[in-house]
Amino acid sequence: MSIQPTPGPPPYQEPDGERRPETPEEPPGGSPQRESRPPPTLRPARPRWQETLSLLAHNPTAAIASVVLLLIVVVAVFDDTFASEGANEISVTDRLQPPSWEHPFGTDDLGRDILSRVILGASVSLRVGFLAVGFALVVGTLIGLLAGYYGKRVDDVLMRFMDMLFAFPAVLLAIAVLAVRGPGSGNTALAIGIVYTPIFARVTRASVLGVREEVYVRASRSVGASDWRILTRHILPNAAPPIIVQTSISLAFAVLAEAALSFLGLGTQPPNPSWGLMLAEGRGFIELAWWLAFFPGMAIFLTVLCFNLLGDGLRDVLDPRQRTQMAGGSRAAGAAAAAETGGNA
Amino acid sequence: MFGLVHLVPGDPVRLALGTRFSQESYDALRERSGLDQPLVEQFFGWFGRALTGDLGVSFRSGETVTSQIAERLPATLTLAFASILVALLIAVPLGTVSALRPRSLVDRVATVISQFGISVPDFWMGIVLILVFAGTLGWLPSGGYVPLTEDPGAWLQRLLMPALVTGVVSGSVITRFVRSSVLEALGADHVRTAQAKGLGTRQVFTWHVLRNALLPLVTVTGVQLAYLLSGVVVVEIVFSWPGLGQLALQAVQARDYPVLQGAILLFALVFLVINLVVDLLYSAIDPRIRR
Amino acid sequence: MTAPVLEVEDLRVRLRTPRGPADVVNGLSYTVGAGETVAVVGESGSGKSVSVLALLGLLPARVATVTGRAVLQGEDLLTMPPQRLRQVRGPGAGMVFQDPMTSLNPVLTIGRQLVEGIRAHGDVSKQAARGRAAELLREVGLPDPERALDRYPHELSGGMRQRVVIAIALSNSPSLLIADEATTALDVTVQAQIIDLVEKLQDEHGTGVIWITHDLGVVAGIADRVLVMYGGRCVEDGTVDDVLERPAHPYTRGLLGSLPDLAAPVGPDGEVPELTAVPGLPPPPTDLPPGCVFWPRCPVRADPRCETEQPPLAVVSRAAAAGPGGATASGAHAGDGAGLPHRAATWCAEEEVPRG
Repeated sequence: MSIQPTPGPPPYQEPDGERRPETPEEPPGGSPQRESRPPPTLRPARPRWQETLSLLAHNPTAAIASVVLLLIVVVAVFDDTFASEGANEISVTDRLQPPSWEHPFGTDDLGRDILSRVILGASVSLRVGFLAVGFALVVGTLIGLLAGYYGKRVDDVLMRFMDMLFAFPAVLLAIAVLAVRGPGSGNTALAIGIVYTPIFARVTRASVLGVREEVYVRASRSVGASDWRILTRHILPNAAPPIIVQTSISLAFAVLAEAALSFLGLGTQPPNPSWGLMLAEGRGFIELAWWLAFFPGMAIFLTVLCFNLLGDGLRDVLDPRQRTQMAGGSRAAGAAAAAETGGNA
Repeated sequence: MFGLVHLVPGDPVRLALGTRFSQESYDALRERSGLDQPLVEQFFGWFGRALTGDLGVSFRSGETVTSQIAERLPATLTLAFASILVALLIAVPLGTVSALRPRSLVDRVATVISQFGISVPDFWMGIVLILVFAGTLGWLPSGGYVPLTEDPGAWLQRLLMPALVTGVVSGSVITRFVRSSVLEALGADHVRTAQAKGLGTRQVFTWHVLRNALLPLVTVTGVQLAYLLSGVVVVEIVFSWPGLGQLALQAVQARDYPVLQGAILLFALVFLVINLVVDLLYSAIDPRIRR
Repeated sequence: MTAPVLEVEDLRVRLRTPRGPADVVNGLSYTVGAGETVAVVGESGSGKSVSVLALLGLLPARVATVTGRAVLQGEDLLTMPPQRLRQVRGPGAGMVFQDPMTSLNPVLTIGRQLVEGIRAHGDVSKQAARGRAAELLREVGLPDPERALDRYPHELSGGMRQRVVIAIALSNSPSLLIADEATTALDVTVQAQIIDLVEKLQDEHGTGVIWITHDLGVVAGIADRVLVMYGGRCVEDGTVDDVLERPAHPYTRGLLGSLPDLAAPVGPDGEVPELTAVPGLPPPPTDLPPGCVFWPRCPVRADPRCETEQPPLAVVSRAAAAGPGGATASGAHAGDGAGLPHRAATWCAEEEVPRG
């Protein structure tokens, strides 16, 4: 007992066990006495995603982060409705107005309403973020799956290439991509996507290696299931949790990277508002009108923070091994785990 | 591991391709720089010269790329090392304390701080700091760089804010790492053995927790240093810090490919060197790897 | 004989868990005499390890509440100040843990790990401590002890590492040695060597030993007395012979039934008698049954009280214990001190003990 995992068939859900929707678990024992006193099962009766959502709802920071993100996304999607003030309308009389009822975030040097521009910027930033992470997710996961599943030469070639990309500092790689392809939000998304592809490939590959030799994978291979079926039905679901966590965290960094690149003048081009670009424009007026740079910065910060918090929350819920390491704390966790083990094993 | 050879081919080629999209005014320049030759020849030619330290001549200034880089290198190195110092000064105490008292007030505050540090855009933080310390309070200059040898006081004044900005960001990442690493070490079985021996709390902590927990810190610090050496582009711009990042950005804007190539090669080199140093250091301090 | 080395009385451990308080140890009492080996057996999760970690204050104070008394050589371990407890760890009680792969610090040399333990309890020069360390390693049978001092744990095999752990535990000549599943992670031949080693050292130094295990084969080989734990309680204790030969508690019988009996007759068609396991799982310590802790899994359930009332640990027989058992001295429970009683916490024992 104690700190070590229990030997024998563990009715206590080992962290790994929770990740295996494929293996229906026979309740151990099955003697008549059990009916009067069913042992507590950790396996939820509900589908996994519902379980995940409900666990997430019980994590206040992650829940708040999700709500705020949802708001940001809604505002970004309906940017035209919210930003009715005409974000690109120039009005010389309204130049550099401090925050007021009429212009809650003030106006910029051309008299444009900053709130409206921040809202429009949200849609630009998020679009680039989602495009970039979407690209990285699809390409990276695919590469990781292939490398992890087929191993050997495929693995060597693909992962060596990924290592090569990974070796380059992110911002620099993005700058290099933009230098070749020219600035603009589409290219920014591509650049950031390329930067994050190796991370997804690595995460996926690691998960695949973890489950590739599991009994149920070998079992389905032995009954003649196709590679495609094994990959999509058995391996991908098990590799999913870390990928989901990585997605959220990458979105945070993608938004940050988009802002940085736009700040450098390589990303979104004027007159379209992007948070990074607004910061760059506001920088020159920092001592004159602090609100120019302050509010777009806050917007970036808030969005990135929420994606990070959501990622952390997801990790807690989806990746229990990380959870015991991060949250429980020292041997307190060990002892508590021992007690739990004692309770169910 | 990946060799230098693996690292380099993609970018000069890709960058050279980029010239195809550029304006005709560059055609003459292309010819002069040998960019009209087949890519492979171009690459090997460039690579061969690079090995001898000749990275070509800047399109823009006409100076050699090597001299331009050499001119910028001290500033970048200064900033990167100062930042990592700030980061470690923040991360090690904060991470350790919060691991020792998980879920306590200190831990929660540390978690919030590191979460903020990870999420805050560094350039924005830089701008806000400039506003407060250079603008409103007027305590520090808003940017620029003075070599240490010229005026240590001015050097420090100008270094303070950029190092703080990048240090806080890296420090937040490292804080989290230290926390989980110390937590893991606290839970290790051998800590219990040490306690059962009757060692004092401090001795157990220093030799059986901290020592084990901080070993992997070498790797993380190395990664962060590599990141800082290259990733401070934006902060260099904000603080008008004449480093390599600024050089690279100017090269992109001016489509000064030889300079950009050189800068990228240098960053790759720095990355490799740091990895190598980390590996060496690690095998020196971790007996499990020593051979 | 002399006073017992360790006397545990009504030890209780409650842990704070995410799922509410867990009563992991519930009123455990036993004694260990000098030179005596007490085996504590039970399934994973029966509270064995927690009960000994609690003795030495090795459970994190933030989650564990320990009550009761545990007197080691006249001093109560559970109420002594931390500074004193630190001094007791080592010279008072040494501990050997289950996994030799993880119980040594991988980044410090063996020598260093021994020396720091020796120097923590006496003003010994580094040189002298090193000499003592080498001596200890020789004593536990490590080949080439001088050189082993400069080795790192990963350079030794599992069995060798466990010898080192034992050497550390013995480095301050403790009066009590606690072996927590000390041989579980080792293969059988190494296991036998380690057991021999502990027995030999015990004979030489007169150390009392608590041997925690779930391996009844080991119990038969090493123990003088056996304490069977279930759900944080002692459900049966007595001499090895009594408990293993004449188990009174249904749980002990179940445990013994799940041990393959190599002496059992093989059926005419080469059929081996079927292994019976104890079906089900121990109750969660967050939610113990009101009556007998074993009731949910008990195949007997002879008495209506089983479901509602916790049976006390009652003497089953005294006769058998009067036999030639080796270390019968520490008769702390038996008022008359005539011998060690065989006790079991079950309602059915009264009706069901045929051999009186």
